Amino acid sequence: MSLPLTYDDVVNNLDDLPSLPAVVMELLNSIDQEETDITVLAKKVSHDQALTAKTLRLANSSLFGLQVKVTTIQQAITFLGFQSTRNLITAASVTGCFADKACPGFDHSAFWRHSIATAACAKILARHARFNQDYAFTAGLLHDIGRLVLVSSFPQEYAQVIAYQQANDCYTLDAERAVLGIDHVEAGLALAEHWNFSDTMRLAIAGHHDPGKVGAGFLAAIVHVADAVVHALDLAQKPDDMVPSVSPVAWKALNLSEETSLHLFRETELQYEEIAMVLLAA
Amino acid sequence: MTGSYRHLPLAEVQPGMVLSDELLDKQGNVLLPAGAVLTEKMLERMPGHGIESLAVVDDSPPDPVKTAAEREAQLARIAALFRRHDPDDEEDWASQALRALVTEFRVGKEEV
Repeated sequence: MSLPLTYDDVVNNLDDLPSLPAVVMELLNSIDQEETDITVLAKKVSHDQALTAKTLRLANSSLFGLQVKVTTIQQAITFLGFQSTRNLITAASVTGCFADKACPGFDHSAFWRHSIATAACAKILARHARFNQDYAFTAGLLHDIGRLVLVSSFPQEYAQVIAYQQANDCYTLDAERAVLGIDHVEAGLALAEHWNFSDTMRLAIAGHHDPGKVGAGFLAAIVHVADAVVHALDLAQKPDDMVPSVSPVAWKALNLSEETSLHLFRETELQYEEIAMVLLAA
Repeated sequence: MTGSYRHLPLAEVQPGMVLSDELLDKQGNVLLPAGAVLTEKMLERMPGHGIESLAVVDDSPPDPVKTAAEREAQLARIAALFRRHDPDDEEDWASQALRALVTEFRVGKEEV
């Protein structure tokens, strides 16, 4: 593929990407409709044993602090609600969807460690800000998904991005723009379109590097701050990691006191370890 | 969770040490409550549950030399993570606010 890449190059390669299980696609497509028949959904997901097991382990983790252990998808829906369960199913399937592609230098597991930590942090931030926690979790998990799209579709080209980034010690976003002519935000939006993500999710993916932009939405601010916090806490354990610039607009919008922040850091670290254990288990 | 704790690989955990956190297996079942005093028998069973390290209560008196070294290492790592941020750049105050908070979280408040 000749560089620079265009948005169309990305879109044209989307069909070659691994697809999510049919039931998950159906869930994503139904995200703005409330009345999806719960029993039908529970039945369909239950056919996929690995997916069911992961989902139930997440539901039983301290992320929700349930008093009882849920043992079926139906029960999870009863105790956590339809939205939360749907988001857990999405998380459980997306993390297993992209195989480790041959892209020299790309650390697949560091990518997911960062995404999972951002999801956990975004959920806690959302609770603090009285925002929908399930949206925040999923948006945190998927905010950088465009990077996987680029790595999977253009592994050789993306290896150059990594080499450029290391040589210049710059942000990955800048390296992508310099080498590919397109960045993971645009690629993420292409995938969001392809997978029929809701508008809220699209806005959050679009705005997570620039939440101060008019119309970016509050979810973008949450994901932006969660992303920065996770970099600062060094949770992905990437030796050459660096903290992005924190948007003053987003930082002010979340209005974190000293006490809230320290609590947020501690809680993020604890939940991250637990979720990573479930989602990254072989 | 109370007080200070440290994460030790299983091989370094001695009988008599105290668990600082609830111990869960991969399914999220509680194996041992926080505060449990570890016995040799318990430790023998850990590998069978897929456990490789434990969080134990740290009651050893802090070694000032080691503590200072750890503190320096933490500060150096934070400085590396924030290497693209100029402390004098007033436009970038939100990043500095985050840096101050993370520093407080890692090494405590003094000299921040």
